[in-house]
Amino acid sequence: MAISRRALGLGILGLSAAATGALIYGRSSPLLRGYLGEAEKLFGFIGGEKERFVEDPEVVSLLRRQGGLVLDARRAGSIEMVREPALLDQHPQFLWPSSSVLVDLARASGVKIQRDQVILNSPIVVYSWDGIARGLAASGYATADGEVRYRLDLAKLLNAILAGRTWADVGVGALYGSLRLLSTDPNRSNSGFMFAGLAANLLAGEVVTPSTLPAVLDKVAAIFTRMGYKPSSSGKMFEDYVAGGPGAQPLVVGYENQLIEWVLEDEERWRRLNSDGTAKPVILYPEPTVFSAHPLIAIAPEADRLIELLMGREAQQIAWTRHGFRGPLGTSGEIENPLVRDRILPRLDQVVPMPDFRTMLALIDRLAA
Amino acid sequence: MDAREGRALRGDDGRSAPQRGRRSTAGGGGAWRGLRAMAALALLLVLPLALAGCGEQGPAVAIVAGSENKPLEPLVQEFCAKRRATCTVSYLGSLDMGFALKSQTQPLQADAVWPAASIWIDLFDEGRKVKHLKSISQNPVVLGVRKSKAEALGWTRGDVTTADIIAAVERGELKFLMSSATQSNSGASAYLAMLTTAAGKGDVLTAQDLGDPAIQEKARALLAGVERTSGSSGWLGELFLDQDAKGTHYAAMWNYEAVLMETNQALVARGSEPLWLVYPKDGVAVSDSPLGYLDRGRGAAVEGFVEDLQSFLLSPEIQARIAATGRRIPLAGAAAIKPVPAWNFDPGRPVTAIRLPEPKVIWAALTLYQEALRRPSLSGLCLDVSGSMEGAGMDQLHQAMGFLFSPDATRDLLVQWSPQDRIYAIPFTAVPGTLEQGSGAPADQARLRTWGEALAAGGGTDMYACARAALRAMGPDLAGGRYLPAIVILTDGRSTDGLDAFLGDWRRDGRKVPVFGITFGDADRTQLDQLTAETGGRVFDGRKDLVDAFRAVRGYN
Repeated sequence: MAISRRALGLGILGLSAAATGALIYGRSSPLLRGYLGEAEKLFGFIGGEKERFVEDPEVVSLLRRQGGLVLDARRAGSIEMVREPALLDQHPQFLWPSSSVLVDLARASGVKIQRDQVILNSPIVVYSWDGIARGLAASGYATADGEVRYRLDLAKLLNAILAGRTWADVGVGALYGSLRLLSTDPNRSNSGFMFAGLAANLLAGEVVTPSTLPAVLDKVAAIFTRMGYKPSSSGKMFEDYVAGGPGAQPLVVGYENQLIEWVLEDEERWRRLNSDGTAKPVILYPEPTVFSAHPLIAIAPEADRLIELLMGREAQQIAWTRHGFRGPLGTSGEIENPLVRDRILPRLDQVVPMPDFRTMLALIDRLAA
Repeated sequence: MDAREGRALRGDDGRSAPQRGRRSTAGGGGAWRGLRAMAALALLLVLPLALAGCGEQGPAVAIVAGSENKPLEPLVQEFCAKRRATCTVSYLGSLDMGFALKSQTQPLQADAVWPAASIWIDLFDEGRKVKHLKSISQNPVVLGVRKSKAEALGWTRGDVTTADIIAAVERGELKFLMSSATQSNSGASAYLAMLTTAAGKGDVLTAQDLGDPAIQEKARALLAGVERTSGSSGWLGELFLDQDAKGTHYAAMWNYEAVLMETNQALVARGSEPLWLVYPKDGVAVSDSPLGYLDRGRGAAVEGFVEDLQSFLLSPEIQARIAATGRRIPLAGAAAIKPVPAWNFDPGRPVTAIRLPEPKVIWAALTLYQEALRRPSLSGLCLDVSGSMEGAGMDQLHQAMGFLFSPDATRDLLVQWSPQDRIYAIPFTAVPGTLEQGSGAPADQARLRTWGEALAAGGGTDMYACARAALRAMGPDLAGGRYLPAIVILTDGRSTDGLDAFLGDWRRDGRKVPVFGITFGDADRTQLDQLTAETGGRVFDGRKDLVDAFRAVRGYN
């Protein structure tokens, strides 16, 4: 049976009119409430690394069932979302950046904060490859903790980079040229931003402040200059890491949960990888490291309910088991996934706070030059 | 359910739905309202079923890709056919793609971009319109050298460094084909890798390095080895094979590992000597071949389609088929193809990748290449000013000359001349007109521009006579081997036949000068096709945009 394009168009128009009618009706009818729900839309910005968590059907259903909430969460850079007028002028009801420092920065930009609460945590880690990690361990830059898990002396590694050491100098004979560590652009992406803070702390030997920053500024800048081209997002950085392999991406800064999420996204791929002869991804835990906290900033009163739901046991369990995010205190979840268990450090004892936001602003301004 | 049924079902529902909608707004009793709502709800439940019909027509999707992805187009079309979508794949150089991404006036007409490397998106996509970039394959740019040559250079017996390659070029023992660093990703990659390794620190290239005379000298020495260049790596591979069949056996070529494998398969099939792949130990550039969605407001359906295409190309089955073409694939996608020890081809071998510098350093390096380090151009321009060019034709020619000799305009597109270049411009009718010549120095360009913008039309057409005149004029400069020569013929008509006479001269001159054609108006393309094919050149279509054709041809000279 043939049907004209116009008739089809009219038909679709009619359908949507009927659907709208049903929705309007449903809102006022107790009979249909159970089906259609009395959902309240909440609009806000989130860092890209939480996109998969927020879009997870289990999370969507939980928010809807228990709180009647539907999120309209748009992806934005964590640093942009707390200071870009173009974003703040859209009147977000909540912001969910990926560093606690950014709560202060939001306040400084005039955001009216009702409440803020750290929901998730993920430590900043360094991604590498089994062969390279073994070399670093043999030369005293890293310590093996089990078969495929390492603790990294990041301060020592940074000083080796500053001293112009080659890969061969640090026990990695397979790679040519100078030792290098890559992160994202600290002015655009949070993992690069946090790494800049961590590096400044390590080089200063304490949490840097506006008065101690000048002494290490040149050194931090030198480390970032040696990276060359820096990706603009943590997601792209991790994609480049897995795609590029040890020759192109030997040491890369990221969040701990990125590898876990990548493994869980396609478990078959992970099994295949572990059974073939190629290089295997390895997490090096810097000691000390910084936690990328994910503070939810409630601007509208309704966002308070969102915080309550996400702090609940169910949401926290989904965050850990399906996305690799640790809870508000930085502890790992109870259920261990056998696929990644051997690569994860359950407890991180050496954690330093980030420098305050004024220090960070001065630091990233310099790195933009 | 087939497509027709799917549409019919929606159509039937659609026709009755508006009536229900209207009646519900008219209002009524409570029970009646409840029933109507139930009916509407039922409709809502049916809707997704109808839409999910497997006969759903997919969207029309335009994809712009780098020429090195051509062998993978069948995979893309396979997916599009499965989704009943119409996919058109067109091929553009990475730089062209970048300029189009940046352009406000002529934005890129595509829904997906698939350039050779992410860096070009980062350099040019100022509006951040490209999303979901994912690497489909990993492609090192390496040097393929005829096996006997590689043996003679001692390169088949151990590691080779960039310094070894520079030394061979300086001794006059090695010449190679390399695409233009300012027009094509493989050329840019090879060039940036050479510069980085020439800097010798095993580190990232800096702005200071670019100003270092010693590094510049090394890069210039290396680029003196460029025997032919082009705006496209795919075309360069074809040129290598085509000329091999005609008896010109180029010694070496920088290209993607996979393109060199394809070249070798063709060489071996015809009994020609294959290339030995040289992976410089101190670092090669690796391109990540990213596919991304270009947001130009076509909505979620097209965006979802492009993401699904990515997932398809990254599925284990398709990754295995991509690996079979000699491409490296992202981690654990599939095993690499078997190595061919006789060619030193091994996509499973780890390589040390050079780290690309910051975007502003890349731009400065490309400008330096175009203005100072590349082998200077020796260009013979034959410009058709026959009677048929009168009017609109001459207006466009004047415009093209205005562009070609305006340093500011050409610099924006990285096709600027340098003072080392030599330009011989000859207007022609049935006979060659008076020659105008100059270098690429600003004063010479200004003179050439005034001259070009004053050209007038009238008379018959003989491009062959002009090409012979150009060859004569270029003769003295050709001898030293300093310049990278080309003759460019713009014509809008049919010439009186003189191919054999020209080719006679051309052979006597050592077959060194490729001829490129730019068609215009009612140009007889067969004549240009024959002339360019004989000489290893290429024809560009100038009918849509003459300025753009002149820009493109600069990438080959």
